Amino acid sequence: MSRLKGFISQLFAPASSLDASSDEALLARYREGDGVAFEILYARHRQGLYRFLLGLSGRVELAEEVYQETWLSLIRSGSQPQGRATFRTWLYQIARNRLIDHWRKHGVHQPLHDSYDEQTHALADEAADPEQLLSLSRDSQRLEAALQALPTDQREVFLLRAYSDLDLPQIATLTETPLETVKSRLRYAQQKLRRLLAEEVLT
Amino acid sequence: MTDARHTTDHQALDHYREQATGEPPAHLDALILAAARSATPAPKPGLWQRWIRACQQPRWQVAFASLVGIGLMLSLVQRTPEQVPGYDFAPAPKASAPVARQETEAAPPALARSLKAPAGAFSAPAPAAPMAESGAPAQAESFSADRADEAKVSKRAAVPVKSLDEQLREVLRLQKAGHKQAAEKLLADLHARFPDENLSARLEDLQKN
Repeated sequence: MSRLKGFISQLFAPASSLDASSDEALLARYREGDGVAFEILYARHRQGLYRFLLGLSGRVELAEEVYQETWLSLIRSGSQPQGRATFRTWLYQIARNRLIDHWRKHGVHQPLHDSYDEQTHALADEAADPEQLLSLSRDSQRLEAALQALPTDQREVFLLRAYSDLDLPQIATLTETPLETVKSRLRYAQQKLRRLLAEEVLT
Repeated sequence: MTDARHTTDHQALDHYREQATGEPPAHLDALILAAARSATPAPKPGLWQRWIRACQQPRWQVAFASLVGIGLMLSLVQRTPEQVPGYDFAPAPKASAPVARQETEAAPPALARSLKAPAGAFSAPAPAAPMAESGAPAQAESFSADRADEAKVSKRAAVPVKSLDEQLREVLRLQKAGHKQAAEKLLADLHARFPDENLSARLEDLQKN
């Protein structure tokens, strides 16, 4: 009976309600044969995912390759997010795993698996006053350079927070890192970026 | 203080969000959307569509046809009228009409209906009483099939019907008890009911006995 109601509501659902559907509902509809649902889902996440991959890999070609593989993998898998995972977490998890696979496949050093002393970074970042409001550079090359200057773990957390809109617990789950570590990585990343991009001090 | 800290903490985040310009190239969008369209699974058929498809398959056609046949047979069997019972109603005519009518008037409507039914079914009720009295079984062949059910019900609800002699004894009892009017009325009823009978002679016989 409930399935019948769902079918009827879907049959007469206006396009606006489709736009307002959750990611999980859209994916489920796509799996049932609704191609429009995928287009909406893709439009929602294409930009964020691409910017995340571009920032993390640092190379346009690699970002495009992993981006394409991620979406095609999702299309072909036919599965749904498992357990408490949201579609967003699931999508970025796939992309992250693809990028790590690529690094492993090409014998590239895997920076995400580096372990570094969080305290060392914390001490280094104390140089800037954290409560000082700075004017940050808008130069794209400088922005990119500052981003790439971050340790990869910090950069990953920063990019996920900036472009995926995942909250910190979700990022902790995705990166399989303790929540407190995620918080400190994000804090250090922001402090360092402010310091690197600062142009003048506002009083 | 806290707001200022929060603002500075998120300054870099907000700044990167505002300045971000990276977009996936158009050819990648087209490729991915095309792949999604080609991989879109066919919509699952509805219940009716699946049923119609099943009906189109030969083995299911045979199965459905068999089911329909069985259903038709069952409906025909269910609609067949019951067999008319042979002599189930034979004792019923023993009732003498006036007494039966009296009892009918006193009885509840359902019972009255059941009592009236057999009497009305006979074309000649009066001669039937002597026949019943003499022990001859009443013939029920004249019952039509559509009255069989009603007669069955009346048979279940039937009360013992008095014979002519018993009613004549009742007349005598009423006379002895001083209820002359009632006795005369009952006798008149009996005369009307059994015009061929010599009721006076039978009454005298009964008095003698």
